[in-house]
Order: sequence, then C-alpha cells, then structure tokens
Amino acid sequence: MGNLILDILTTAAILFITSAGLLIIFGVMKIINFAHAAFITVGGFAALVAHQIGLPPLLAPIFALIVGGVLGAIAEAVIVRRLYERPLDAILATWGLGLIMTQLITASFGRGVQFLPPPISGTVSVLGAEYSLYRIVLVGVAILIALAFTALMTRTRLGLSTRAVIMNESLAQGLGINSARVRLITFGVGCGLAAAAGALITPLTSLDPAMGLPFLIGAFMLVMVSGGSLPALALACLVLGGLQAIVSTYVGSVLGGLTIAVCAAVALRIRPEGFARV
Amino acid sequence: MKQRQTGILLTSVASFAMLASAAAADTPIRIGVPVGLSGANSVVAPSVVQSTELAIEQINAAGGVLGRPLELVVADDGSGAAGAQRAFDTLIFQRQVDALISMQTSAARNAGLPILSRGNVPYIYTSFYEGRSCHPNMFVNAWVPEQQVPPLVDHFNATYDAQSYFLIGSDYSFGRGMLEFTRAYIEEQGGTVVGEDYLPMDGTDWAPIISNLRGSEADAIITSTAGGAPNVTLTRQLRDAGIDLPYGNLAVDEGTAASMGSVAEGIYISASYVTGIDSDTNREFLAAMEAHFGDELRTPNDLSVPQFEAVLAYAAAAEQAGTTDTAAVIDALAEVTVEGPRGSISMSHQRHAPLTMYLGQVTADGGVEVITAFDAVDPGDQCPDL
Repeated sequence: MGNLILDILTTAAILFITSAGLLIIFGVMKIINFAHAAFITVGGFAALVAHQIGLPPLLAPIFALIVGGVLGAIAEAVIVRRLYERPLDAILATWGLGLIMTQLITASFGRGVQFLPPPISGTVSVLGAEYSLYRIVLVGVAILIALAFTALMTRTRLGLSTRAVIMNESLAQGLGINSARVRLITFGVGCGLAAAAGALITPLTSLDPAMGLPFLIGAFMLVMVSGGSLPALALACLVLGGLQAIVSTYVGSVLGGLTIAVCAAVALRIRPEGFARV
Repeated sequence: MKQRQTGILLTSVASFAMLASAAAADTPIRIGVPVGLSGANSVVAPSVVQSTELAIEQINAAGGVLGRPLELVVADDGSGAAGAQRAFDTLIFQRQVDALISMQTSAARNAGLPILSRGNVPYIYTSFYEGRSCHPNMFVNAWVPEQQVPPLVDHFNATYDAQSYFLIGSDYSFGRGMLEFTRAYIEEQGGTVVGEDYLPMDGTDWAPIISNLRGSEADAIITSTAGGAPNVTLTRQLRDAGIDLPYGNLAVDEGTAASMGSVAEGIYISASYVTGIDSDTNREFLAAMEAHFGDELRTPNDLSVPQFEAVLAYAAAAEQAGTTDTAAVIDALAEVTVEGPRGSISMSHQRHAPLTMYLGQVTADGGVEVITAFDAVDPGDQCPDL
C-alpha cells in the first residue's frame, strides 16, 4: 500500500513537471506548443552538456532552463509571433519546429542512447516501503515549480501584466501593457520549463533524440482538461496519474498506459471545462 | 511474311540471349540488403552495412563467386512494414538482385515475405527473432528463443537456486514472444512465474511494475524490452529502486551495455556473438574490420556478425550449386557450412542454425565477461514443413 501511494504521488509529480511548460504557454497564448517534446529533449541534452563541461548535477536543470528559455524566446520572435491569429497554423509550425530541433539534435549527438550518471541514487524507507530517493525528490521539485510559478504570477509586475493579457488582451494593450513582450517571455518560460523537465527526468529515462515524445500526448491531454489553470493541472495530474498507477498495478501496464488519454477524453465529454474552476 | 517476321524475332531473341550469357561472366551478382537505416534499427544498421561491405570485399578479393564479383545494393526499410515493402520491391524488381541478406525487424520481415514469394529470390534473415517464421525462400542464421533463453534460466537455477521469476517486457511481438517462451521453459524446469507485465513501446514509467515486482518476492527477473530507450529506461528505474535480484536481459547487447555504464553492471546476457570470443577467426575478423573502417568502425555485434556470415554462406551456396538460380541456391544453402567469427554455422535445421551460445555478465566498466559457452544449441522445431 505504501508503494502504491508513493507510485501515485511520484507519477503525478513527473506528469506535472513534464506538462507545466505546455500549460503556461496554452494559458497565456491559447496555442498548443507542439515543439514541447523537442524542448524536453533539448533539456536532456543540455544536462548532458552541463555534465561534460563539469557543472555540478544540481545546476543541470537550471542550465537546461536557461538554454530552453533562450531557444524558446528565439522561436517566439522568429516563428510563433506571426501565428497568433492562426492557432491551427501555429500547431503545424510548432510541430515542424519540433521536427527540425529533433533532427538537429540527432545530427549533433547521434541517434543512439547517451548516458548520464544519476545525480542521486539509492532508496529511502518511506511509509514502510523502500522507495527510489530520486522519485521522492521529484515530488518536492514539482511543488517547488508550482510555488515559484504562483509567486511569479501573483507577486510580480510581470505576473500582473500577464494576468491582464490573459483576461483581456486589447484592454491590456490600451492600458499600455506591452503584450508582445508578455508573450515573448511566456513562451520562453514555457520552453525553459519543458527543458528543465527534460533535465530532471533523464535519471529515470533514456537520453536520446526521441526522449521527449512519449511525454507529449500525456501533457497535451492533461493541459486540455486543466483549461490553462495551474492548480487544475496539479489536480488533474494527481487524479489521472493516480488512476494510471492504480490501473497499472492491479490490471496491467498496457491498459495503464491508456488511462490518461481515455479518462481525459471522457472527462471532457461529461464536463467540457474539465478540472478548471473546481 | 509472317514466317519471316517470326524468324527475325527468333534470331534477335537468340542473339540477345547470347549477349546476356556472354555478359554474365563479368556482370556482378547483386546482393540486396534491405535494412533500417532510419527508424528503430538505425542505431545498429550502420554496423550491419559495414560487415556486409567487408564480407563482399573479401570475397571479391579472392576472385568473387562463380568468377563474378559481388555487388552490394542497400535499401532503407525504415525499420517497419511499409518501408520494407518498398525496399523489397525496389531491390527485387528494379535492381534485380540475386539474393537478399538482411537484419530487419520482425514487422519488416513479415511485410517483405509476400514480395519475396513473387520475386522468388533466396533470402537470408540475419537478426535474432521470436522464432517460427517460415518461407520456402528464407533461411535464418541467428538465434531463436529456444537457443537464447535456456542458458539464462539454467544458470539462474544452478547458481541462485531461483524458483520464482518475474518477467517484464515491451508490448510488441518480440517482447511478448520471447517471454511467452521463457514462461513455458521456466515452468517446464519446475519453476514458477510470479508476475508478468508489459509496458507500451513508448511508455516511460515502470514504477507500478517495479512495485509489483517488489511485492512478488521473485528470486530473479528476466526482461525482454525493445532495444535502446525502453531497455535503458527499465534498467535505470530497476537500479534506482534498489532492485538487486539476478537480472537476465534478453534485449541488451554489448554496445548498449557499454553505453549504460555502471547501471548495467551485473546484468546477465545470452548471445551467439560477443567480441571476446577466443578464436583465430574472430580475431582476424575484428582486425580486418578495424583495418578497413578505422575511426568509422561500429563495434561488431550479435546482429552484424550473422550478416557477415550470411554473405559467406550465400557465396558458398552459389559456388556449390554452380549457378545463381534460386532453386539450386536454396538447396545448397541448407547444406553449406561456413567458418565465421561465431564458429561453424550451418543452416541445416529446418532453415535455422544450431549455434554456440555465450552466457555473459556485464562488468563494472561496461564490458561483457563470458561465464559459460553452450555448444551447438539446437534451434528446435522451427519450420517442420520445410
């Protein structure tokens, strides 16, 4: 039982970490960044580079955040900015951007699986179960990301401008808020978070040019049922991730892998606003 | 008038045929290699192409086959069914190859077989696979579950007195096929399977399976994932969760083990080729690969070495048959024996080959230490109708 509770919590934490960046961009800009998977991969490889240049493992996610953030801001200025009025084209453009980024990573690092030594290894005894220490650390990291983002949105001038843009963009512009700048920063932060997620999950996954892809569908579904709200995302990760862990444990992991997509689709059918405004 | 026309036609057909047979003396024999240059097999495919190149070069340097040089024609099968259909089509009907020799995914092989029937050329399949794929034109010189699994289970029984096993795999035909055989073999030996679970190919979170494994009190684990990412992900998470049971991995090879470093330490593997095979033929082969490819060399492995030996087998069969005619070559392929890096290989057993299998354990530096060799392990009844 202890194991199951920890599986639920840590699965939810990993889902939250890997979808937060997608949610932030969707929340502010109402577009889905399909290059999200490629930015997760960028983060994994940024962690590899950080290791190669001798940065301590603790700094790897921060290094990835910066690399992803800068690349994301460039992508916004060069490509995404032109497509705000055409959300469907934005999907195509970001998907294409993701393909190009993946191929560039393949060209520079090769197709094979890279290896990065884990920053923390070993197990701890929690709730009467021996459990992976790193997965438990990720729960703390997920909470940290949620708190930092909430603080950014509610305690800073940038957060105020961002909330104004979300509520009514033309009115915000009329009040002198530079909405183009808000969008640039938001896209950069979202991509940076995706990259940080990539660096954070490498100790648990393989480091290769396709590593981000499996996380995209789950993140997309979770963001859809969250309607752009961070607390709703946290709840959705806990509920759907928990269901995934329960189904995987008691029924089988093949069905477990379908849980999030199926439950998200059913949830949206019954309650189109999903977990938002709960 | 009509007769005359026919006469001209006959003469021209005859002279064309004469031209063709005159040309045959020095026209190359084309070897088609459909292989996954893109997709899942793209990591290993370059090593397969390299060993094919070396084999062809060595044969040509020694005078070719039936006095004719061999020519390599490579086509990308995209590691999957659709790509394989295109690759087989192109090689057989456009490039008119005399034989196909290739390491492919099971999906690609199965998709190519109907085209093989229409094109009627000999085909040597050089990838280990889940077994029981039969086609009158196809030979296999790599291992099947009957050859790979028993060394592992026997060793776990003898060394760890392992009675209960937990099986973990990727959800696809190779993963399930291997573990289905493993379960049957374990039960045949008097052991029990206390758990068996699969994660979809793109799954990344093994935590619930690992929790179930922990609760099962199994004595040993045997895994059969897709190569590459799923294998690395599962191994990392098992180690991260502190699981230190005897661990047999049906999908890891020396290269992957080396890239996983300390995480792979202690894993048991069972293979028909490891670079450390102590024979002159293997040493000469490794030296020739090194000399030919230098810095570009991809480490020879359990997929590229059977490919090398398959080219030798085709050459020997064509020489024995005295022709490249499909029916004659197929008869000869079942009879010839080649000396390769893995030893003497003869595809005499229902189109499959008895093989020496090596049980190895990954060392701390990512190398593979051979623990035992099992001589001439029988492939069992793979294709009783052929």
